[in-house]
Amino acid sequence: MNPANLPLRKPPTESDVTIRDVEQVERALIDASTRLPVLFFYASAIVWLLLGTLLAGLTSFKLHAPDLLSNISFLTWGRVRPAHMNVMVYGWASMAGIGTAIWLMARLCRTTLRHPLLLICGAAFWNLGVLLGVGGILAGESTGYEWLEFPPYATVVLFVAYSLVVSWAILMFRFRRGDHIYITQWYLLGAFLWFPWVYGATQIMLFAVPLQGVMQEAVTWWYSNNLLFLWFGAIGLGTAYYMIPKVIGRPVYSYHLAAIGFWTYAFFASWTGMQRLVDGPFPAWMVTASIAATIFSIIPVATVGLNHHMTMRRYFGLLRYSPTLRFTVFGAISYTVFSLVGVLISLRSVARYLHFTQASIAYSHLGLYAFFTMVMFGSMYYIVPRLVGREWRYATLIKVHFWTSTYGIGLMTLMLFAAGLAEGGALDNASMTFVDSLNYVPMYLRGRSLSGLLLTISHFVFAFHFGLMLLGLGRTASVPTFLNPKEEEAIEAQL
Amino acid sequence: MKGIAPLLLGIFATFAFSWVGLILIPNYQIGHLEPQVDEEGNDPYPAPKSGMANRGRQIYAANGCVYCHSQQVRGDYAASDLERARDQGPSPKPKWGERRSAPRDYLFERPVLLGKMRLGPDLANIGKSAPVEQEAAAGGSPVPSGSPSPAPASAGSPAPGGSPANPAAATAASGSPSPPAGTAASPSGSPVPTGNAAVTGAQPQSNGLPPQYSAAWHHRHLYSPRSFVLESNMPAYRFLYEKRRIGGERAADALQLGPADGVQEGWEVVPSYDARCLVAYLMSLDQSHALQELKATGAAPAPAKAGGSPAPAPKEAK
Repeated sequence: MNPANLPLRKPPTESDVTIRDVEQVERALIDASTRLPVLFFYASAIVWLLLGTLLAGLTSFKLHAPDLLSNISFLTWGRVRPAHMNVMVYGWASMAGIGTAIWLMARLCRTTLRHPLLLICGAAFWNLGVLLGVGGILAGESTGYEWLEFPPYATVVLFVAYSLVVSWAILMFRFRRGDHIYITQWYLLGAFLWFPWVYGATQIMLFAVPLQGVMQEAVTWWYSNNLLFLWFGAIGLGTAYYMIPKVIGRPVYSYHLAAIGFWTYAFFASWTGMQRLVDGPFPAWMVTASIAATIFSIIPVATVGLNHHMTMRRYFGLLRYSPTLRFTVFGAISYTVFSLVGVLISLRSVARYLHFTQASIAYSHLGLYAFFTMVMFGSMYYIVPRLVGREWRYATLIKVHFWTSTYGIGLMTLMLFAAGLAEGGALDNASMTFVDSLNYVPMYLRGRSLSGLLLTISHFVFAFHFGLMLLGLGRTASVPTFLNPKEEEAIEAQL
Repeated sequence: MKGIAPLLLGIFATFAFSWVGLILIPNYQIGHLEPQVDEEGNDPYPAPKSGMANRGRQIYAANGCVYCHSQQVRGDYAASDLERARDQGPSPKPKWGERRSAPRDYLFERPVLLGKMRLGPDLANIGKSAPVEQEAAAGGSPVPSGSPSPAPASAGSPAPGGSPANPAAATAASGSPSPPAGTAASPSGSPVPTGNAAVTGAQPQSNGLPPQYSAAWHHRHLYSPRSFVLESNMPAYRFLYEKRRIGGERAADALQLGPADGVQEGWEVVPSYDARCLVAYLMSLDQSHALQELKATGAAPAPAKAGGSPAPAPKEAK
């Protein structure tokens, strides 16, 4: 087992061979200590991903075949849809993100993982919380607040699970070696602290001491945007900041740019959310403040994008070989696209047409799938071999996974935006009947179902491949699995 | 970056700043509203909903109606919601709304179901769209046990019911069907029909179908959406209804179904309690009552004084 060996790196010179050997043993020990908790989080996440995919397919098909399974109360569209969203948000994305964050934390704090039992209990409770929550939604106990549909008893379990994870993270940070806090650690520490504050504050304001009337809706949107940016966004960006430099073996282009990017991100992204309430029964200044924050969030997007781009410069050829790099770079580019689309649809003149349409679904999928999920896939391709001591078995399966995901999410985004434009234009024309204004939508929704089939293939292929790794059926080799046969000369030329 | 203190402090500061700015200050501005009353302190609006309607809201939330139906009408400066009429109904067809929605409309809503998607029409005023006779029948009938009447019962007050009292609202209401008369029996100005009373009290249309947006119509629409609108992609909510063999006499609250609904002779479909609650909730959705903050020049939707940045003015103020 040779975990941290990066074959694409320059060969070491004679003098630093011993130092590198020590570092490699140290890393192997750290990786070994994270094995159980991280694999537990990953395996749970992938099971939720499969379930969420099936629920998504049902949601999508029911939109153009409304009588499908509609007589069964727990499979009615209005329950399957929130079940899908919550499984993806809390089951898949959060658990995958925590798994990756644990591993990155351990590596960057350069210390072996202490108290793995804490994390394993955390993962078990988290699974229980999601299971109770989804069961509650399907049984008809949804709270009715979007992204917060879990009934309160599930929320309590999730919160216990989360406290276990965060107390572990703080212990870990406390025992870190070295003074330097790497960029990824800023983002991870931010995510670990922002999530409980935002989640806790929201739960208190909605259920313990409920706010009056429309303020509940403001809290819901404040929560879901902060969850998207300060939890998923922070973990995703932190991961990209680790993976891209690591795989290509160069330092991040600019440390100062990264610092500017982080603080402007925290400052502006946390103020977004109310733009989704545009022209609703709220004071106009709330919406305007969030629109302004969304526009200003171009600053962190540009700095992060520039930083990644300059780090990758002259190394884009490696996308041909490394699965991790390919997924991560796709995610990083999607982050830029997602943010720019976010700016566009928040403008009042555009929102007039796209508000209340499928475009908002396209936007959430750009953020949660094209950006976050793809970055998570990338990190799993990097981390899992280091945990199980085997390399991924089939390069072909990785390729199938990548292309079905890419085409799937691309097609879905296009279809939903097209549906949103068609619907939005017609809805603004009051002389048209409502039913006529939705005339063109089912066509695009069928296209979306097709993209769902692609994504289903992608996820089952990935789950199968991951299962092989868990069973120890990966390749025993000293080099990672490349997407294409490595051509030595070509890589030398790159370096 | 060296040192953990600035990092933690910054992380906390960004969270706190956004919470104060987007939650605490707006809550100070619109989070402590009271029902509006007229000069004599009568005619409070909004009034708390009946017990059945409140339970209906939970059914609405639990079955995800909010993912396709919004409950907010945007101002005419922002969208064409106010010009839009419903697809069905007697001519002139009922409008989506006669004024835009304001925070005060949602005082007693929990959860608030504003919605973010319109795969179905807006429901902010769906109860208001019910036919006039329907309301009179429902409002005049004694409230059955099990559905308590609204709490602030200023019964006996000369409340003008649903008819707009001030000229500004009247101009906004121009072109809409004539305001319902005879609703004075309901203290809130919004009648509180219940599933039961409405089914029996409705006058059927000439073609035998229940009048559009009446309670009987809602029940049939929930049971069999495509019997009214062929292109509708609303799922049927048959699990809220009980299909049973007619024993002796047909039940009074059985749905008025057609041959296309797949119910054989000798069978009837009756709404469950949940279904009746859901319909009672739908029938209670009515934002037609005039609001002081929406009638004058450039008023913000909140009772904010001139200090705050006002929302764009409604059209009639220009």
